[in-house]
Amino acid sequence: MDQQSNKAHRPANSGAKAEKKSKAKGKEKQHGFNEKAFAPKSGRRADRQGRRNVERDQTRLHVPLVNRTPDDQPPPVIVAIVGPPGVGKTTLLKSLVRRYTKQTLNEVKGPVTVVSGKKKRITFIECNSDLNSMIDIGKIADLVLLMIDGSYGFEMETFEFLNILQSHGFPKVIGVLTHLDLIKKAATLRATKKALKKRFWTEIYQGAKLFYLSGVMNGRYPDTEILNLSRFISVMKFRPLVFRNSHPYLLADRLEDLTPREQVRTSKGKCDRTVTVYGYLRGTNLRLGTKVHIPGVGDLSMKSVTALGDPCPLPDADSEKRRKLSEKKKLLIHAPMSDVGGVVYDKDAVYINVPGSFTRGAADVPQGEGEQMVMDLQDVKTTIEDQVAQSQIRLFGSSSRPLSVQAGPSRLPDDSDDSDDGSDSEEDSEDGSRSDSDVDEDASDGFSDEDDSDMEDDGAGPSDRGRLSMRSVHRSMGDLPSHARQRQEVDYADSDSDLGDDNDDGVLVGGQEEGADLPDSYESDEQMVDDSDEEVPKWKSDLAAKAHASFTQDSRRNRRRDWTKLIYMTSLSPDEILLDKQTRIADAGGGMGDEDFFTVIKKSGEEVEEIDTSKDTLSPDHLKVWEDEELLDSLRGLFITGSSAEAAITGEDDQVEGSDAEEADGEVDADDPQATRAAALAKKKEALKRKFDEQYDDPESAKVDFYEEQKDQMARQLELNRAEFEGIDPEARVLVEGYRPGTYVRIELENVPCELVENFDPSYPIIVGGLLASEERFGYLQVRIKRHRWYTKTLKTNDPLIFSLGWRRFQTIPIYSLDDHSIRMRMLKYTPEHMHCYATFYGPISLPNTGFCALNTLSSEVAGFRVSATGVVLDIDRSAKIVKKLKLTGVPYKIFKNTAFIKNMFNSALEVAKFEGANIRTVSGIRGQVKKALAKPDGAFRATFEDKILMSDIVFLRAWYSIQPRKFYNPVTSLLLSQKGHWTGMRLTGQVRREEGLKTPTNVNSTYKPVERPARRFNTLKVPKKLQAALPYASKSKLVKQQHRQTYLQKRAVMLEPEEKKAIALLQQIRALRKDQVARRKEKQEQRRVTHRQKVEKEEAKKGEKEKEKRKQHMRAAGMKARQESGEDGGRERKRRRT
Amino acid sequence: MAQPGNVLNFSGHLHLRSRLVLSILSGKAVKIDHIRSEDKNPGLRDYEVSLLRLLERITNGTVIEISVTGTALLLKPGVIAGGPVTHDCPLSRSIGYFLEPVIMLAPFSKRPLQLTLRGITSDDRDLSVDLIRTVTLPQLQAFGVSDGLELRIRKRGSPPLGGGEVQLICPIVKELKTLNFVERGKIKRIRGISHAVRVNPQFSNRMIEAARSVLNRYIPDIYLYSDVYKGEDSGKSPGYGLSILSESTTGAMHCAEALSQPGVAPEDIALLATRALLQEVQRGGCVDSHHQTLVLLFMVLGSEDVGRCRMGEPTARTIQFLRDVKMAFGTTFKIVPAEKSDPASTELVYSCYGVGYVNANRTLS
Repeated sequence: MDQQSNKAHRPANSGAKAEKKSKAKGKEKQHGFNEKAFAPKSGRRADRQGRRNVERDQTRLHVPLVNRTPDDQPPPVIVAIVGPPGVGKTTLLKSLVRRYTKQTLNEVKGPVTVVSGKKKRITFIECNSDLNSMIDIGKIADLVLLMIDGSYGFEMETFEFLNILQSHGFPKVIGVLTHLDLIKKAATLRATKKALKKRFWTEIYQGAKLFYLSGVMNGRYPDTEILNLSRFISVMKFRPLVFRNSHPYLLADRLEDLTPREQVRTSKGKCDRTVTVYGYLRGTNLRLGTKVHIPGVGDLSMKSVTALGDPCPLPDADSEKRRKLSEKKKLLIHAPMSDVGGVVYDKDAVYINVPGSFTRGAADVPQGEGEQMVMDLQDVKTTIEDQVAQSQIRLFGSSSRPLSVQAGPSRLPDDSDDSDDGSDSEEDSEDGSRSDSDVDEDASDGFSDEDDSDMEDDGAGPSDRGRLSMRSVHRSMGDLPSHARQRQEVDYADSDSDLGDDNDDGVLVGGQEEGADLPDSYESDEQMVDDSDEEVPKWKSDLAAKAHASFTQDSRRNRRRDWTKLIYMTSLSPDEILLDKQTRIADAGGGMGDEDFFTVIKKSGEEVEEIDTSKDTLSPDHLKVWEDEELLDSLRGLFITGSSAEAAITGEDDQVEGSDAEEADGEVDADDPQATRAAALAKKKEALKRKFDEQYDDPESAKVDFYEEQKDQMARQLELNRAEFEGIDPEARVLVEGYRPGTYVRIELENVPCELVENFDPSYPIIVGGLLASEERFGYLQVRIKRHRWYTKTLKTNDPLIFSLGWRRFQTIPIYSLDDHSIRMRMLKYTPEHMHCYATFYGPISLPNTGFCALNTLSSEVAGFRVSATGVVLDIDRSAKIVKKLKLTGVPYKIFKNTAFIKNMFNSALEVAKFEGANIRTVSGIRGQVKKALAKPDGAFRATFEDKILMSDIVFLRAWYSIQPRKFYNPVTSLLLSQKGHWTGMRLTGQVRREEGLKTPTNVNSTYKPVERPARRFNTLKVPKKLQAALPYASKSKLVKQQHRQTYLQKRAVMLEPEEKKAIALLQQIRALRKDQVARRKEKQEQRRVTHRQKVEKEEAKKGEKEKEKRKQHMRAAGMKARQESGEDGGRERKRRRT
Repeated sequence: MAQPGNVLNFSGHLHLRSRLVLSILSGKAVKIDHIRSEDKNPGLRDYEVSLLRLLERITNGTVIEISVTGTALLLKPGVIAGGPVTHDCPLSRSIGYFLEPVIMLAPFSKRPLQLTLRGITSDDRDLSVDLIRTVTLPQLQAFGVSDGLELRIRKRGSPPLGGGEVQLICPIVKELKTLNFVERGKIKRIRGISHAVRVNPQFSNRMIEAARSVLNRYIPDIYLYSDVYKGEDSGKSPGYGLSILSESTTGAMHCAEALSQPGVAPEDIALLATRALLQEVQRGGCVDSHHQTLVLLFMVLGSEDVGRCRMGEPTARTIQFLRDVKMAFGTTFKIVPAEKSDPASTELVYSCYGVGYVNANRTLS
């Protein structure tokens, strides 16, 4: 093809186009960063700007927290969907599950786990509107999808939930607005969105994400909107919350009852159950021996924990390779409690069946016989062996224990995994027959027999008990004496040959003692030591001092000892552990006979008794060896002045850098000393180089700020945590560090109340929260508390209150108090209006700084806001120091100058003695002091005052009476009820009386009576005649006798003058006229008032009618809406409470 | 207030102190029976009762029940309160016996502890107050217990009559730091205190001379202080002793001491102490045998991270302690040889996963 030649383009040099271009060019110039634009105009401004930037940077920083969740296999993120009933939670959950797995769930119950990415899984859980569920979900959710009905607005539950979240560490929240299609007018829609967003932002934070889901199509939300939401979920980053970062926890996605059926039957279902729960471990490592709390049930102890295969594993390279093209194959979902395939949930395992070639659930579709059979097979979730194991057969009805079999020692490692049980059932049967044949060998494995039986359970769960149980019992019945003998063997650890044999073919291979391989026993080890004894090294004889030889020999032996095993796996006493080493030394040297050995252990307290000392007594004879110069010189290498060559003699090779001791621990071949020296030299050089580099090369790296330093330190520690137990085998690892978060575990719980199983409802979440050692205890907690401003009542001391604190929900009786001048805690009857106060109550201990919220009721019938208070734990103690004021009153019965005798304050001299020196006061404010008890009236005392008091004064003593909160703790056992929302705790007295129809008893002394105050009589003042005479006139009492005769003024007759008479008459007439006038005026006014009142009444009536009409209209609209909703969605039963 | 399942059961009179400490720290009740039940003089000794009393005083809400015969004991622990406490120790044991458990508890109390103890300051059964001051307390610094940690020796008191007085001031911590101490370094200095009360002050100098005669070959940085108390501060009985310690470049400390015995020359006492120190040094590790339990306990109580420490072989006391720790906290140690390449080395690395013990007694204001 020949080239086509086109005319070259000539850009226009003039005209509109050229102008436009040139303009654009000019604009382009301004693109990008213009340095001048932001240059400060003045130095001061530059300074201010700089400071502002630094401050802004600081606000971005958060206290660095260690994230204890492993990065490689993190547990699924819990996404909780929360909202009022009828808002569309289930629809959203279904839509999201559909988005991730391309499957539609029919009914969702319990958590649903899906794989959402290469390294991410999500557990979705729907939260019902019960307050208990909301509290529990709030404690575990990593992300909350808070659903709000856009057509209705916020509801009370939403705010309650937000307050619960706030007090238990705020997880991430995404708001989801639904039902927006019900708003028809665009302007209203916009306004509603805006208003709701504003409210949401004030609740969460400015700029919090709020999603809008428009309408429901095909029972789902639109795919694009769900896609957007899922993208937001996937990029969400989670900051570790303090409480969850210090507690292990688990959201149970499956619950199984393991109680023997027979026991259930005989006890009519009322016996305590043994229950297993399954789920992903979260938070921190779950150690053995910790207690757990299930909110709504109580504290339980774990019988065993087993790590299971991940039911919803992350895709790895291997699984990617195996992935089929059929798209549904790759999408995993794990939701044992949801009955997706039409399988009814019972207490046994039910998984969602991923529809492959058959589609399940459609019962009306006719199925072939073969299909039916395959489906039946799919229904079977446990192998026969499992079922047998769980059924726990009894040989006789009266047997105290169900049959069980201890797995043989050689089977331990490969049976730990439950997931492959189904496949190797025949293998198990082989094992069974083998173990039958060599009964003795199996049973003689002492450690699995007795003290470490729980470990055994860990290793081989009940799943491999099934078939073997019969045999085990036969055996134990057959040769009981042999059992006893074996026990003896274990206790005293006499080495015997068959033990050794047993272990030789077992796991242990000579010399392989990486840390702690558990299953092998101490005996084999001992044997190994013996072996090494026989080949006593020649080089020992080179040393001059015999003692030195003994030291090195000693150490040579010790290297072979596995201390972890010796300490934890044997029942040897510490002395025996240390001593048997010494005896063997003696044997090797041939110095000490057997008799000598036995004299070491003294028999009775006749001799010096063994005492608890921290210092060994120094024996000069033993230390004599240090007189030897050679031995002294051998230590030179340990000192800073000694050379490293000398160090090599004693073998105390020092390490220059210990920070990377993993390297030192690593595999350095010991055989070639040349190589080791070279390696050591290389390491030293490396360290020196690093040091040099740090100092000279990179000045930036040297000056990291505090924040970075802390983060680095945490990262280093996490790295160390990971590295330290990397190599050791899983069982030993579990023993040392527990189960790591992200593991799918099965926890067996003992003594679970039967109601949990009987009244199990998968829509209520079951959370297993690990407790710290201190949290199992009880005590008095002092908390800082504030009544919620939306809670309408005040809180009263000694009224029961429901707390949600830590994992627990419980009812207790707080006493409120305030700090009184830092001297005392003074009781408050009621919580203050807008202020924090203290509350002290009895309950399970939580660490200081744990947040909580308190509620007065959990019932959903209450109209108002239910979260009544929030706060934080301050202090934990075994006693409370709250006081209330007590005033003791007394009256004086004898008064001297400044002294008075007071009675009626105390009852006995002993009481007075207790209060000697106490401050007292009269009502008039005269202060005084209690001096000493008086003999005569009981409880009377002498007191002195700063002034003379009156007989009429009341004397009072202000004292403080200490009160203790009531020891009342009532856990909210909501999960045990058949109606989970109707838990009622202790009621108030008034409430009880009201419900029982009782009248309040009245105290006679408390009734009000008219106060009688008798008139006070005073005696006449009598002045003695002598004194009277001596007084000056002015001071003399003027005693004049009363006149008994009328005076002149009284008895004279008065006659009026005619003018006067006239004047008086006139005044009288005027007054009469005036009176009449006023009366008439009043009458008229009254008439006017009556007419006005009538008028007003008329208007009122008119207004009322209008109001009534309005209300009618509103109710009609509301009713219509309700009817509409109930028609479209069954989930919306309850009437809403409007905020 | 422990729940019924939460009782640690022990028997025998040995390791009483560590068991009580574990009980108080873990909050589990402890029940100890068979306390010298086979003995001619059965039951608790006066010093053990005194220890219980001391523990009751520094805690709040502790319930101690002792059986009629004194051979069984039940302790339900309360919270560690701290604050100013004074206690008179009986003359059967030295103050060190009481200080050791208290040091394990004090950092976790509600208020900083100011404990005054009166009695014998040093004897040959327990660590003397000198070693506690110079070695034990610096060990705590590695765990972040440092500000204001102090032991004041007001008066010295030798056995048999005692008359000494010390004051322990211990700050409180929220959480212990995780220990990672695997390099032992090389010994860079040797320090010592040679004390003498109610004897010729020259004794102290004679001991120093003798100790130097052995140690001078290793290192020049040796300071042995002569600490002579006079008058009222010197207690009621005569006595003298030498306590020495070595410190390495990484802060690893080893210590030993010897105390006066009738009929033994001060030089011999000093040699005894010196040789004991050399023996300790030879045992190796970053922590000497006296302080193994303390360091191991604080490793267990550290944050939920891996703590590591290099030590010599465990003593019998340590072995039992490790078992008791497993009962109380469920923590198991991984114990491996420090240097696998070197067959002669007896050093071990103890590593454990801390329980994340937080001082719950601390008051938040």
